[in-house]
Amino acid sequence: MKIANRAVSVFTLLLVYNAAFAGGGWPQPKGWGFFKLSQWWVVSDQHFTDSGRIDPNTTMGIFNSSLYAEYGFTNRFSGILYFPFFSRAYMNNTISGTTGETLIPGEAINSIGDTDLGIKYGITLNKPLALAATLTFGLPLGKDNGGSAGSLQTGDGEFNQMLQLDAGTGFKLGNVNLYSNLYAGFNNRTNGFSDEFRFGFEVGATFLKNRITAIARIQGIQSFKNGDLPSERSNSTSIFANNTEYLSFAPEIAYNITEKWGVSAGVGTVFYGRIIFASPAYSVGVYYKLTK
Amino acid sequence: MKIFHFLLALPFLFNSCIGDDVVDDFVPPAVRITAPLDTLGVGKTWQFEAKFTNNIGAEEARPVAWSSSNLAVLGIDGTGLATGLSKGSAIVAAEVELGDGTTVKSERPVTVADSTVIPPVVMTLGGEIKSTSSYALKGSFEITESGSGILISIGSDYQASTALPGLYVYLGNNRSSIANAKELQQVAVFNGAHSYQVDGVGLNDYQYLLYWCKPFNVKVGEGEIK
Repeated sequence: MKIANRAVSVFTLLLVYNAAFAGGGWPQPKGWGFFKLSQWWVVSDQHFTDSGRIDPNTTMGIFNSSLYAEYGFTNRFSGILYFPFFSRAYMNNTISGTTGETLIPGEAINSIGDTDLGIKYGITLNKPLALAATLTFGLPLGKDNGGSAGSLQTGDGEFNQMLQLDAGTGFKLGNVNLYSNLYAGFNNRTNGFSDEFRFGFEVGATFLKNRITAIARIQGIQSFKNGDLPSERSNSTSIFANNTEYLSFAPEIAYNITEKWGVSAGVGTVFYGRIIFASPAYSVGVYYKLTK
Repeated sequence: MKIFHFLLALPFLFNSCIGDDVVDDFVPPAVRITAPLDTLGVGKTWQFEAKFTNNIGAEEARPVAWSSSNLAVLGIDGTGLATGLSKGSAIVAAEVELGDGTTVKSERPVTVADSTVIPPVVMTLGGEIKSTSSYALKGSFEITESGSGILISIGSDYQASTALPGLYVYLGNNRSSIANAKELQQVAVFNGAHSYQVDGVGLNDYQYLLYWCKPFNVKVGEGEIK
């Protein structure tokens, strides 16, 4: 994440939002799948600085239309894809309050975004504690240097590899089905970006005859600050920066329209951060569960 | 089918248009005498010059009205050409009309004596760079005439955060905007002494040394040139 770094930020803020009925310590059973079409966006006129305080910036926005998919190749192995097939980054015009003239014209770029490909392995199956390991490759398919100042990005320009371990369990409280999941991962970043430690915890509850699932998540990223990306090449404080750190709270709610189709909405708020946008990110989506 | 249409509409529903951010970039209009002289010899002449900057700090060509407070000592014509007439003191003024009935004026005391005293060739201005953001930025600086321009020497006490994306340094007359500022270069030194040679610029042309995060159009720090 360059003032928040791509593979890590995008993965955490975007991909993990797709976890209603997917993700966590449970791989998809063989032949089953989970597919979600989502819109994720953040618009921010401020960011967390390297000292953790909040400074203003020209209003910028990032919008991703994405496909997220999990498919069970076997009962233990699931393939994972996060593909932002349309990604837009823009910056507002800067207007003189004195003369009304445009001082710096706004800009926008459109492209596909950085994409994640992963494979999940179920370490335990049909046990009270579901353990899974996921290897994710972050493919730098987006633009990392768009616009006249190079600050418009739909990707961070680096290929990263992340190994993540998930531990999840399901339980009941009265008539409410609940689950919880804990994960930790190491994200190896290239091209001068610092590596990262990622972690998160979530609790979900399904109720109203399995119609509604409410999820609460806490997610974090800690940078190892071991990258050597020169500041001249660092042109981001959005979600694609280097040495980004944050702790966020991201609730999500999903509504099962039928047994297979559903819709969801989520919001992510960063309450501690360094070098990342200081505004909430939102997501809405439609998902489909492939079962036998 | 409805769901299919909803899926198709998603990218178009949420992909925003570019909006406007309005910045308060007003600065008081000002005129500055840029070819100063302390002492003019009797019977000698000196061409004064002046620069006008408008309410956003942009240099603008405006008619300048020159005047002398003591015409028996120092005469001055409409172009700013002054003549020493007799020993004594006078105040030279450059005045510009703003168009709304008001004016801005700059004054400079001049002594008329036996001979003209040219200001020292090496004149030094300077100041302190201070952060105006949460990013670390500090240090002292000096500006001297050098070659066909000026040399900005940043002191050994200078420090700047390396976390800033695209930190640039400018010379400007509006501390709130770089729209009409002179961009020097992207900052490449984040600790210790260094310098910038800026050709084609005079010592009195700019009032501020500005540090700006160019990609995000955010001011990071400034140093008032005194």
